[in-house]
Amino acid sequence: MTKILKSLGRLPSFVLGLGLLVSLVGPRVGFGAEKVDFSRQILPILSENCFNCHGPDADHRKAKLRLDDESDAKKDRDGDAVIVPGNSVKSLFVSRIETTDADDLMPPPDSRKKLSPQQIALLKRWIDEGATWGEHWSFTPLKRPPVPAMKPGSNPIDAFVAHKLAVEKLKPSPPADPTTLIRRVTLDLTGLPPKPSEVSAFLSDRSTQAYEKVVDRLLASPAYGERMAWDWMEAARYADSNGYQGDGDRTMWPWRDWVVKAFNENMSYDKFTVAQLAGDLLPSATQEEKLATGFLRNHPINGEGGRIADENRVDYVMDMTETTATVWLGLTVGCARCHDHKFDPISQRDYYSLFSFFNQTPVDGGGGNPQSPPALAVESQADQRRLAELDTATKNATDEIDRQKQVFLSSGESGSSTNAGASLSSATHDLLKKPAAGLVETNLALLAKEFETTAPDFTKALREAERALKARADYAKSIPKVMVMEDLDSAKTRKTFLLQRGLYNKPGEEVSAATPAKLPPMNPSAPRNRLGLARWIVSNENPLPARVTVNRAWQMFFGAGLVKTSEDFGTKGEFPVHPELLDWLACEFRDSGWNTKRMIRLIVTSKTYQQSSKVTKDQRERDPENRLLARGARFRMPSWMLRDQALAACGLLVNELGGPPVKSYQPPGVWEETTFGNKRYEQDHGDSLYRRSLYIFWRRIIGPTEFFDTPSRMTCSVKPTRNNTPLHALITLNDTTYVEAARHLAERAMLESSQPEKRAESAFQWVTGRKPNRSETKALLAQTDLAKAQFSSTVEDAKALLAVGESKRNESLDAVEHAAWTATCLAILNLDETLTKE
Amino acid sequence: MNPIFENKLSLTRRQFFGRSAMGIGTAALASLLNRDLVAAEAAKRFGGLPGVPHFAPKAKRAIYLFMNGGPTHVDMFDWKPKLQEMHGKPVPEEYLGGKRFSTMTGDPSGKLLLAPLEKFKQYGSSGAWVSDLMPHTAKIVDDLCFIKSMHTTSINHAPGISFCLSGAEIPGRPSLGAWLNYGLGCETENLPAFVVMTSVSKGTTCGQIFYDFYWGSGFLPSEYQGVTFRGSGEPVLYLSNPAGMSAKVKRGVLDTIAKINEQKLRDFGDPEIAARISQYEMAFRMQTSVPELADFSKEPKEVLESYGPYVNEPGSFARNCLMARRLIERGSRFVQLMHAGWDQHKSLTTELYKQCEDTDQPSAALVKDLKRLGLLDETLVIWGGEFGRTPFIQGNFNDRPVWGRDHHPYGFTTWLAGGGTKPGVTYGETDELGFNAVKDPVHIHDFQATILHLLGIDHKRLTYKFQGRDFRLTDVEGNVVKGVLA
Repeated sequence: MTKILKSLGRLPSFVLGLGLLVSLVGPRVGFGAEKVDFSRQILPILSENCFNCHGPDADHRKAKLRLDDESDAKKDRDGDAVIVPGNSVKSLFVSRIETTDADDLMPPPDSRKKLSPQQIALLKRWIDEGATWGEHWSFTPLKRPPVPAMKPGSNPIDAFVAHKLAVEKLKPSPPADPTTLIRRVTLDLTGLPPKPSEVSAFLSDRSTQAYEKVVDRLLASPAYGERMAWDWMEAARYADSNGYQGDGDRTMWPWRDWVVKAFNENMSYDKFTVAQLAGDLLPSATQEEKLATGFLRNHPINGEGGRIADENRVDYVMDMTETTATVWLGLTVGCARCHDHKFDPISQRDYYSLFSFFNQTPVDGGGGNPQSPPALAVESQADQRRLAELDTATKNATDEIDRQKQVFLSSGESGSSTNAGASLSSATHDLLKKPAAGLVETNLALLAKEFETTAPDFTKALREAERALKARADYAKSIPKVMVMEDLDSAKTRKTFLLQRGLYNKPGEEVSAATPAKLPPMNPSAPRNRLGLARWIVSNENPLPARVTVNRAWQMFFGAGLVKTSEDFGTKGEFPVHPELLDWLACEFRDSGWNTKRMIRLIVTSKTYQQSSKVTKDQRERDPENRLLARGARFRMPSWMLRDQALAACGLLVNELGGPPVKSYQPPGVWEETTFGNKRYEQDHGDSLYRRSLYIFWRRIIGPTEFFDTPSRMTCSVKPTRNNTPLHALITLNDTTYVEAARHLAERAMLESSQPEKRAESAFQWVTGRKPNRSETKALLAQTDLAKAQFSSTVEDAKALLAVGESKRNESLDAVEHAAWTATCLAILNLDETLTKE
Repeated sequence: MNPIFENKLSLTRRQFFGRSAMGIGTAALASLLNRDLVAAEAAKRFGGLPGVPHFAPKAKRAIYLFMNGGPTHVDMFDWKPKLQEMHGKPVPEEYLGGKRFSTMTGDPSGKLLLAPLEKFKQYGSSGAWVSDLMPHTAKIVDDLCFIKSMHTTSINHAPGISFCLSGAEIPGRPSLGAWLNYGLGCETENLPAFVVMTSVSKGTTCGQIFYDFYWGSGFLPSEYQGVTFRGSGEPVLYLSNPAGMSAKVKRGVLDTIAKINEQKLRDFGDPEIAARISQYEMAFRMQTSVPELADFSKEPKEVLESYGPYVNEPGSFARNCLMARRLIERGSRFVQLMHAGWDQHKSLTTELYKQCEDTDQPSAALVKDLKRLGLLDETLVIWGGEFGRTPFIQGNFNDRPVWGRDHHPYGFTTWLAGGGTKPGVTYGETDELGFNAVKDPVHIHDFQATILHLLGIDHKRLTYKFQGRDFRLTDVEGNVVKGVLA
């Protein structure tokens, strides 16, 4: 047991992870023959307990002492030193942490921080060993660690995990049952359950590459991009409305479709990054590249009356800065808005230097326009075709006018008494003289009125042109406009100031665009704009993005990242349990040309991923959170995936990629109540009800009610939450989507067989991928019999239940029987196994 | 140590190591499901952190009557004869020094002062001044503790309300109720610990939308966020069974789920399965307890009448007040009522009257009702909004029908009742014009520290680690206002 603790090293993380064990271990925790590691063992203690007053924040520093700076900590202070390398007895640091005098004790008692005897012993040992300094681990250059010895052809991930398990004397779990495995990997890579035919094909494939074939098929399916896009939407705080008062609808969905497409085409992650942060600044940027920058404009817009535009503008730029830092650098720079970061070496100056890159948009912060410029009209190919058609129609109509009008013009000019031309006003005459292509709708309407009684053919031509122009204008209006990024002309470059306490109206000293000082510098020849920044982010020297990104991929499949604090790679974040594995994966990812599909394939084809998720008593006691990976992951799926699973399993899912958001079932009055009647929920009908969750309209002030544990989409969120509350149960038991899915599942099962056992088996298998065992079948049949008895005395109830949801039911099925099976299928959709990815 | 995890782990330990090595048997499971009985013996509390409350609380629960939009303190409670005297005169420059106002006011120089709309009188043995706009509140002043020196930082609604309720202007921090839910848990398992109900004056032109981050859990797990009880339709979304599914059929469905899940628990040993079984049972119980809660038929006639004519109207503030009392009686920890329509930029002479009519009687009735039931001593009632309104006019002085006042963060009034507060006192003062808090100013963070203190919580010690920092409701500020404690 001590060994587990030793290898996990960093005290706070294992306290968190293995809290159960803490009371059982003696004072020798964290000790061993190896030399104390600064980054892993010492820095976290200093950061947690000392940096508040002796850290990077200059304004709150006490006693002019920095413990985050080696030279300052070791420097001579009138013959003494705070830290004397090799001599803990002489180090003032040690006497202050060991003293019994409350006035001198560090950390001071009123800070409510206290070092444990183990921590004190560790600090002393570190000083006695020479007080070797180091860098916080995530800031150190990314170097490929050697892979532990393994059998040829093995997956290096497994070598790293096996190595650690051997040290801990834990055994890996056996492989998951093939049915469980194909369900797991299909849900992980596509967010949908496997079809029964896919399960049986996998079970009967005897080749050694059977599993790899499944993985490749899934990675190539369009559903992969949709699955990957969900997490990206949460990181990008994507919504279909502004948020705040007014909450105007926006049309950012073409950007969402761009993301799905980019994942499906396996766009390299560096290109994906540059496009979203600075696509507009690329040389001769394409529409797609400009569209990608919608990422930065997904922030909420506050249109509340009385808001000061510049305050809004600064909020938006801060949001862009902080979102970028969290997504690519795993840094919580938001703390440095108001003061130097207390724990991480991000100064307030660093913050505003980073802010400066985003501070050059022409966005002014005024009003609540959900298409506030710069906005890009995103024309699809179909749009372009349709617009061309409408242009042709307009041209034909105006040509016809030009052809016909000659007669009136000549007659008008000559002053002769041709019927139609005689009474023309001069205004009409002037309009007629212009080429018809230059007339607007109101001109045409005016002329049509003028000639209505005198020249019916000409009027007809005029009306035709008016209609064509209107049709074109209407169509152009329907083309979505996506808010994108642009920079101001260099002549108008906005100055950036450090903002005191983060207040927009309290500018301090001027700063220029620069990357955080503690990270490797930007290429001196790179432009100091977003493009330069984006390229710096994905440069080979930057140690953070590859680590942060592979960690999020790991989190997606294992429920928690190798660094559990996926949003924070700073000194207060978790030290990885498998640091070498993380770095190796990050190197693989970066050196493969940021190949996302390759990285994901590597993870899901590992034996580690394929283990059974059954928990043994020993594992539960020693590693309740499964940080050591001696078993497969088992956790409840996100609520959006539950909905997709239910729709897919019952056969209702309409699998169509992209397009404007849809409005699915929602209890009446939810929007209306929230917005005092200003927003009416108009539910869609037909196919739209059965599209994937990704496409459901997301109103920012009141998100879709059928999802739970979803972030608010107000700010960037990269770490999922998973709770277990009765409100969740109410949704999956009572929401129309689930009841309708249960009815369809029942219908399919009933049509498939007249045998009750066979029906129970099929319905269960469509949902969970496996056949029920005998006692499960028995329970499902007993449930059906009971419900049948209940419904047969209340046939009206049966009919009412079958009327839930808008899809038609097969009327040839007996209502009582169908209702009873619907109840049974609702139970199947709510089983723990159904809700969980095993 | 992460206390949530610690809790979960100890639960796991109880379930697995205290009972049987193979997981829990049917008997044990039955008692787990019937936790009412088990828990009643142990302690009447569900959830919460060990060691919280930090000291014996004066208030065991609280109701926040949040007046959304900025109630006009100078018209309702903060009586200033000088403002009356200077009616129509420009606001003296010395009051303005560098203060910012919303863009609707812009530069405040030269704006004309506006006297309170109605007369003020003194009431009760405490002699508190109250406007004729609030006749019912006037009758209970001896039970109230007014704070007239509130001040805040924001000049706009959403950031101001977020600041009041979560300690930060930008959304993303846990709200007061979420902190209480996290720290103190709940006294019942049949109803949520933290309930939110919203209402708005009918036909108001100045209502502000309610955002869910006003009751959000921020970075705390989402189980701590407020559960909204709706004014119309089902009180809780998805509470009712699907059409045609009787409670009997539903029971059968749940029994089947439990039976199969129980087997799964034995096979897989994952404690999450045990938690899921109990959450499904609680969902079933809520389907009975919530409709019972909303059924007022057993309330005495005089009690119903005391809340005023709208008490049976779905979505009314009056109905929500009575619901709040019933929730508190049944063990909920914190009830947040939010009433919109206080934002009178140009409708002071019309909509303020309607607003007072909607809220005055029910608020007073709630305090009296709690007192009648002996619950006021342990229940803290809080009344107030995100800021006050300017003593000067917004709009044309010569056009009375559209008189208004703009947002005013520099001094405003709230009141507290019960739960260990000093009854019949007024704490703090604004200057002679009701402009700036000058005596004993109370900042929002002080106010929050005081509320937590009354509930037995040291605001500096109820923290949660997020992004490496220990966050708390009061950020890095806040002093308990001793002057309001009984």
